[in-house]
Amino acid sequence: MAAAPARAAGRADAVAALALLWLLVCAPGNAGCHPLTVADLFDRVIRHSGRIHSLSTALYAELEKHFPPRDNELGRPARKCHTSGMLTPNGKEYAQKIPREELTHVILKLLQAWKEPLSHFNQHIEHHQELPDDSLSKAKQISNMVHELKTGVEKVTEKARFFLQVELLFLFPIQMQSMGIISNSLNGMASSEGTGLSISNEANMMSDSDFIHCFRRDSNKVQSYLKILKCRIMPENSC
Amino acid sequence: MDLWHLLFTLALICANDSLSAGDDLLQWPQISKCRSPEMETFSCFWTAGNLYNLTVPRILQLLYKKSNEEDWKECPDYVTSGQNSCYFNASYTSVWTPYCVQLVSKNEVYDKKCFSVDEIVLPDPPVHLNWTLLNTSQTGIHGDIQLKPRLSTMVPLYSLKTARDYEIRIRSRQRTSEKFGEFSEILYVSFSQLGIGCDHCTEEVEFPWFLVLVFGVCGLAVTVISVMLSKQPRLKMLIFPPVPVPKIKGIDPDLLKKGKLDEVNSILACHDNYKTQLYSDDLWVEFIELDIEDPDEKNRASDTDRLLSEDHLKSHSSLGAKDDDSGRASCCEPDIPETDFSASDTCDATSDSDQFKKAAEKEDLLCLDRQDNDESLPSLANTDLQHQHRNTQSENSHPWAPFGNSVESPHLSVHAQVSNQNSLASTDFYAQVSDITPAGRVVLSPGQKSKLGRAQREGCTEQNFTMDNTYFCEADVKKCIVVTSHEENEPHVQEQGYNEDAYFTTESLTTTVANLGASTAAPPSSEMPVADYTSIHIVQSPQGLVLNATALPVPEKEFNVSCGYVSTDQLNKIMP
Repeated sequence: MAAAPARAAGRADAVAALALLWLLVCAPGNAGCHPLTVADLFDRVIRHSGRIHSLSTALYAELEKHFPPRDNELGRPARKCHTSGMLTPNGKEYAQKIPREELTHVILKLLQAWKEPLSHFNQHIEHHQELPDDSLSKAKQISNMVHELKTGVEKVTEKARFFLQVELLFLFPIQMQSMGIISNSLNGMASSEGTGLSISNEANMMSDSDFIHCFRRDSNKVQSYLKILKCRIMPENSC
Repeated sequence: MDLWHLLFTLALICANDSLSAGDDLLQWPQISKCRSPEMETFSCFWTAGNLYNLTVPRILQLLYKKSNEEDWKECPDYVTSGQNSCYFNASYTSVWTPYCVQLVSKNEVYDKKCFSVDEIVLPDPPVHLNWTLLNTSQTGIHGDIQLKPRLSTMVPLYSLKTARDYEIRIRSRQRTSEKFGEFSEILYVSFSQLGIGCDHCTEEVEFPWFLVLVFGVCGLAVTVISVMLSKQPRLKMLIFPPVPVPKIKGIDPDLLKKGKLDEVNSILACHDNYKTQLYSDDLWVEFIELDIEDPDEKNRASDTDRLLSEDHLKSHSSLGAKDDDSGRASCCEPDIPETDFSASDTCDATSDSDQFKKAAEKEDLLCLDRQDNDESLPSLANTDLQHQHRNTQSENSHPWAPFGNSVESPHLSVHAQVSNQNSLASTDFYAQVSDITPAGRVVLSPGQKSKLGRAQREGCTEQNFTMDNTYFCEADVKKCIVVTSHEENEPHVQEQGYNEDAYFTTESLTTTVANLGASTAAPPSSEMPVADYTSIHIVQSPQGLVLNATALPVPEKEFNVSCGYVSTDQLNKIMP
């Protein structure tokens, strides 16, 4: 595609512009202003989501021990998560194909969808006396971390959007419209919070281990999407 | 053929029941594992079992189904992953979608599995390993290397010995999973390839600690044994010094063994609580000799008088044999050895001195003056002894109170009587058993009865001493009673309750008192010299004992001469 070499050249210019802007905003003399790159922020967010996934895996194992699942292997596919209705790319290919903004949108939508159900789940399992304290603390930790992750992803995408806008500004004036798309999609996030409430009602119907199984799967989704997003915004050798 | 089919079916059923029995039986085809190396494709593998051998070769099929689908589809690729495998490429892979696969053969389902692709991720082993040197230590003995697989992150290895060669292999796992993938191929690492081998490090000689320890212990043991067995005492003393025996200051047990009691006495005399030993035979002898040597004095006053008159004034200090007037112990002194003689705790020396000073002031303790001049004496002289005794009795409910705590004036009279008695009789402290009453009581006589007389009767009446914690000589009291009392005094005397061993026991006093009455009534027929001690001559009479006077036996060492107080035990010892 002809856009490819232009894009490559645009990236170099974008990096220079970004550096210039950061120098204005975050001069070395300013105390407490650490020039964190977007890459660093993405790494942090990816690590955070990885930790959430590990915690949910462990919690699922513990719940499986205490509440043995139905002895029906086919029952597993029947496990219906409240986020099953969401359209999410179910592979690397698809995740790389959709626009970055949409991918960001999906990530944030997922995180939003789990905020409420997790807090309800916390209150619910506190009454389970047969569960060890370790499990309860894990659930509480997960709930907090999801909230932090959502905040972190928003910040990162803000910065990334800025980065992207700069890039688009220099290279693709036509694509300034995409800024509107970005903002529209992000504004659309606010409206989707309403749908999140309805989704949480479905979450209450699930059993505890199914609930955590669903969340574990979705946390893996979030982590993968973030990795792909990072590679798409800042291409590296490791992608 | 039907029979064969029937038999085969039965065989299959039996095999089905014992499916898990062992390898020798039939094994059904089953799906061994499904794995995805990178979460983009996945493969499933199965085992065919050993049905092939027995029956017509069957064709196994793998059907799969996604959760949101209804139909079972067949495996798209049986080849790529090898035999008995099914490969799903990226287009067939939906990562977070639950799958179910089943192994079938002609509508017969052998095995089934359901999973999700993100759960079956097992990374491939790293390939194309290569390594680079990071750095070496200053001595060149150790080095750090970094392994670089083709498609994985770099792996550092630290602190490898440059003198050695290594074989390395790697395996990886997904961070969220616990299962590791397969090991990679072996990588051979040798530092000598890069020319940084440590030539001088090849010989790693370790210090032979074990040999040193063994030989050291043996040598030490040999040395110790040789020293112990050696005849050289000096060497032995040097290395094995003798343990000093603890020595107690004071008594040397050897002294006790050899019988050198004098030395022991001298040692023990340093301690205040030891005094009985100080009263040896010599003191008695001396005491007796005094009596003989001074006949004039004897006429004037007996030893008891001497004791009572003089020694009381200075009694407090002469509590031990160290006093010059040894043998004349204070009358105030109880028989029980005191812990601190010098402190004059015993019998409240000051009060004693005061009292007896007063006594001296007023009257002679010996009641000698009163024989002639005392006013109260006529009462004693005239009235019968009974009355006198009653006086004493009435005035004194505790005739023997001196031995206890509360003392009243009548005691003084008793005391005076006793002292008076002493003035006349050579018998000092003890009376002789002269007769036994039908009642079974031993009748004691004061001895030389001739000396008994008015003087005796006059005896010690009112010695108005303020008696506070003063002790009277038993003998003195006894004598007074001998003189004055002719009645049965037992009830009063008997009310002893005095626990002191230093004093005559109730029986002795009783006998004494009892005798008082009898003595006047039946004067002792004997004019025999009264000995201080009596011995049991005949013990047969149901009425009591007949005591014979014996020579003065040498008192035993533990005999406490103080004032003639004798405990029952001592008395028993004295009497042979």
